[in-house]
Amino acid sequence: MKATYIMQKEIRESILTPKGFLWYILTSVILSVMSYLFLTNNELSLLDQGQMLYMIMNFITALGVLMGLVFGADAFAGEIERGTLEALFLSPVNKVEIATGKIGAALTNWGIIFAISLPYLFVVGKGGQNLLIGIVYLAFLGTFLAITFSAFSMGLSARIKSMKNSLIISFFIFLLAGAPIFLSAAQRRTWFGRILDLINPFADVINTFDSVVIDSQGFGYQVARVAIICGYLVLSVWFLKRSVSRLEM
Amino acid sequence: MIISVENLVKKYDGYTALDGLTFTVEHGDIFGFLGPNGAGKTTTIRILTAIIKADSGNVLIDGHDIFGEPLTVKKIINALPESNGYYEWMTGREYLQFFSNLYEEKTSGQEIYNLLGVVGLHDKEGHLIRSYSRGMKQRLGIARALINRPKLLFLDEPTNGLDPKGRRDIHDLLIGLNQKHGTTIFLSTHLLDDVERLCNRIAIINYGKIVRVGDLDRMKEKGTIEDIFFLSTKEGTL
Repeated sequence: MKATYIMQKEIRESILTPKGFLWYILTSVILSVMSYLFLTNNELSLLDQGQMLYMIMNFITALGVLMGLVFGADAFAGEIERGTLEALFLSPVNKVEIATGKIGAALTNWGIIFAISLPYLFVVGKGGQNLLIGIVYLAFLGTFLAITFSAFSMGLSARIKSMKNSLIISFFIFLLAGAPIFLSAAQRRTWFGRILDLINPFADVINTFDSVVIDSQGFGYQVARVAIICGYLVLSVWFLKRSVSRLEM
Repeated sequence: MIISVENLVKKYDGYTALDGLTFTVEHGDIFGFLGPNGAGKTTTIRILTAIIKADSGNVLIDGHDIFGEPLTVKKIINALPESNGYYEWMTGREYLQFFSNLYEEKTSGQEIYNLLGVVGLHDKEGHLIRSYSRGMKQRLGIARALINRPKLLFLDEPTNGLDPKGRRDIHDLLIGLNQKHGTTIFLSTHLLDDVERLCNRIAIINYGKIVRVGDLDRMKEKGTIEDIFFLSTKEGTL
């Protein structure tokens, strides 16, 4: 229950502010531009609906991860730097409840991004294959990934207590997570490419989207990747819990 | 007694911040905790308020072990840290309501209004905290620290950076709290004027050790508070 109050505070502080609205307006603008290009550009419109849907799903996931990392980096280090965390710690709330409230706010942020993206997904994917199942996978895997990266970034923020440093490290993690995208098809078929693809939660999610939306493969094909994503989710929540429990001013 | 501290030790990376601290505070005291910068005052308060853990030693707050029952202790104490930050985008009322929600026993809207009145901010309850002066923020911080009607209130340098009027307001507020509500106040400061005006007992800490403790009036029989402070904190005199 106390976590709910922390979550409400976080939502008011980061989401229901002009800054928060600006993020969502920008999200909406970027998605509008992408959708417009997909549907009108001659070269891009050679792509089938499934390909377009897959690309826009990747973009939405990346945006969710990126914003989760920013949220996480600010969560504890930002409060320490602003001098507000000590008053929270003086209240009879345990640190894990505080972290739960902050994760709840990060998830709300992902939920808003997902909600904003829904009309674009329908417009871009309309008439193509696997639209609904693609959206279901995006909802679940996007949520898992948002929790994973937010929790990791929050844990980092609690450990290094510097917003600037946790933000920089989080961005590096984001680039690392996106690294497989930059590999060519040939490189991805090498043993290194395969391992990188498999152990990278972000790559696992986009490969699952590929498999579901483009190749129309069933859940049986996704089990290994989904299990790895869930593994990362558990690991990052454990890391957050451990980091926050040890956090001292 | 409301605070009992025995052989408290805290080290940071080999540096001993607290070196066997032992003292007690009685119910109803305004206890001055004096010491030069870096003596260990803030570390002591953070341990006594269950913000950080000590390496060894025992602390009982109103009979509760601070290390074994931190959440129980947090229900009966509160504190205003030295560098207290505020959610500047909230109004004074929202700020107090938020902290009230974190306690099982909630404070009603009327009680929050009364609390703002106690610290002289009832006419500013709907204003954003970012529009408050430093003294007003400090008084809001004290109101936040009173939200759970604590038996024991820790204040870390509460008058730092305030003008004479702001300091006087805080002094009057603390005296009122102590006399009307019987709140025990643990006041960490290096401003001797604050101590003279407010405290009945003091302890002087230097290099993580208590070097003097006792009734202020008795100490003053031997010299001014300034003499006692400098004599106690001068290197090599102990």
